[in-house]
Amino acid sequence: MEPLRQSILPKPNDTWESIAARNLGQLNQDVAIAQLQSWNLHIFARRVLTEDGELQQPILPSDIVFIEPPKPADPAD
Amino acid sequence: MDTIIRNGMIADGTGKPLFTADIGIINDRIVEIGAITGQANHEIDASGKIVSPGFIDPHTHFDAQLLWDGAAKPAIEHGITTIVPGNCSLSLAPLKAEHRMKLVGMFNQIEEMPHKAFSEGVTWDWETFEEYIERIQRDLSINVAPLVGHSLLRLWVMSDAAMSRAATPEEISDMADLLSRCIAAGAVGLSTSFVDMDERLQPVPSRYACTTELDGLCKVLSETGKLLQVVHEFYDTDLTLARIDQLAELSLKFDITTTLSPLFLNADNQEGVQAIMKRVDAQMQRGARVWPQVQTRPIDISFSFAVPSLLFIRLPSWYALMRFSDHDGIKAAFEDPAKRAALVQEASAMMPLWSVLTLRRVNTEKNAHLVGQTLAAIASERDSNPLDVMIDLSIEEDLDAHFLAASMGHNDDLAVADLLKQPNVMIGASDGGAHILSFSTYGDTGYLFSKFVRDCAAMSVELAVQKITSEPAEIWGIAERGQLKPGFIADITIFDAATIARGEEYYVQDVPGEGFRYVRDAQGVSQVLISGAVAYDQTYGYSEARTGKIV
Repeated sequence: MEPLRQSILPKPNDTWESIAARNLGQLNQDVAIAQLQSWNLHIFARRVLTEDGELQQPILPSDIVFIEPPKPADPAD
Repeated sequence: MDTIIRNGMIADGTGKPLFTADIGIINDRIVEIGAITGQANHEIDASGKIVSPGFIDPHTHFDAQLLWDGAAKPAIEHGITTIVPGNCSLSLAPLKAEHRMKLVGMFNQIEEMPHKAFSEGVTWDWETFEEYIERIQRDLSINVAPLVGHSLLRLWVMSDAAMSRAATPEEISDMADLLSRCIAAGAVGLSTSFVDMDERLQPVPSRYACTTELDGLCKVLSETGKLLQVVHEFYDTDLTLARIDQLAELSLKFDITTTLSPLFLNADNQEGVQAIMKRVDAQMQRGARVWPQVQTRPIDISFSFAVPSLLFIRLPSWYALMRFSDHDGIKAAFEDPAKRAALVQEASAMMPLWSVLTLRRVNTEKNAHLVGQTLAAIASERDSNPLDVMIDLSIEEDLDAHFLAASMGHNDDLAVADLLKQPNVMIGASDGGAHILSFSTYGDTGYLFSKFVRDCAAMSVELAVQKITSEPAEIWGIAERGQLKPGFIADITIFDAATIARGEEYYVQDVPGEGFRYVRDAQGVSQVLISGAVAYDQTYGYSEARTGKIV
């Protein structure tokens, strides 16, 4: 089958840092995290209010996390 | 014979060409199909009508309504004999008393079910799934194939921690045991959600499940031959593709059937839907079972500012005002020049939408003549703009001005027809019983015949019947239903192919707590039999039969 845009399902307690280190280890960590966040606005734009009234941006265990940018449209399509 | 249906054109659910025959019924079963001599206690003349298996609606939220209306009205009159409630990680059981209001909040936010319907229509006299099933069985006219909601399993086992963390191995084991008990009590599978938020706009419990937890629950589905339903990130093609692959892997690993809903075909995602179906076809060819559900009706949304509407979900200030303020607070914000200016600024980019909204309903006489006009037309008359007109009318009507955003998407009839016909598409996603103040979730089956069989001539009546009877029965593992066949249960819909339709949408006050909802009355459906008994007759209305079963 044709490869899809690459994604992962998070491991327990994953953070942007741990995902960047595992999947984009060849990049500077700050750059890798910024790229990950830009490819995953469905997660990065999330705001969750905790019981203490604190706003968090959790990566949820069920999230799809893209580890590459969107594929360009196929001109053949 | 107890009942004979005479001279109908039989669409037996398999897709086989129509043929004329009689159908004989004894007790709850079909015993003969052909030319039947002799008489029965009850004879139905179906000359000129289509006689088909009862329709199956695989994506509903009738969970609460079944507690005050065992017919799930108006589902039956639209030909539906079996409904699947409990979708999207939400069922009404298993549920401990301390979590009831949390769940009501989820139903309110996600399915737009009013709080008052629960507080005045529901007597909370169950906790376990078995008790809930026993409770709804007391007065059941329609068949119910219930899903158990993943968020409920988490709340039962993990309590408040269900909404903040992954489960431990012990908790996963407890959830698996609980799911087994629900299945033993009649659940046809598990539903989960990757997208939904609760009333405080927090992720629902199922979204905190890790892959190990989902594997643990799928193992139970595998052992019992049951199905997994998910609601996915349907607004994004790449995320949908990734979910299809995830479901395909679960399907292959555990030998289970999976279904994801909804899949919409809008003007701006036609290529995306092609890519999604190409992936579904490829995964199905590998042996995975991943069924996207596609609804028949176009997207229409009605709203007033009296209750939150998902139409405003992408306008944070508006949505927060509707969700977290009350009637007086919303009105005060509209009347406060500074707050109003901020709201207008946020919504201005969507002026094309506000322009085409139609004023649907008002209470005052002075605005009655405007009903049916677009906000653009009213704005022109008032020398204003559509957005300000929407706010002004809402103030003038004490927030009881109703607006309609008609045909917002999924409305390219021929393209939708092509999608509905595809062999790897399940017709469903009606959301029956939910979103009751936004649109009517009833009549999608009538619309299938009126729009796609009759108006567009895009599919045969035999195929349309097959797609909503034997096909869902097979996918969902609903035995002895979905076909007209000797030995099968006599769930039968009799309709006129020339007139069947979903009827006009109207607003009615019939929800507990003096609540309203949008409904449609069926057209062209003559009789609906459930387990051999007439549950609905076009002339006499709903019967007293209570032959619905947990299937």
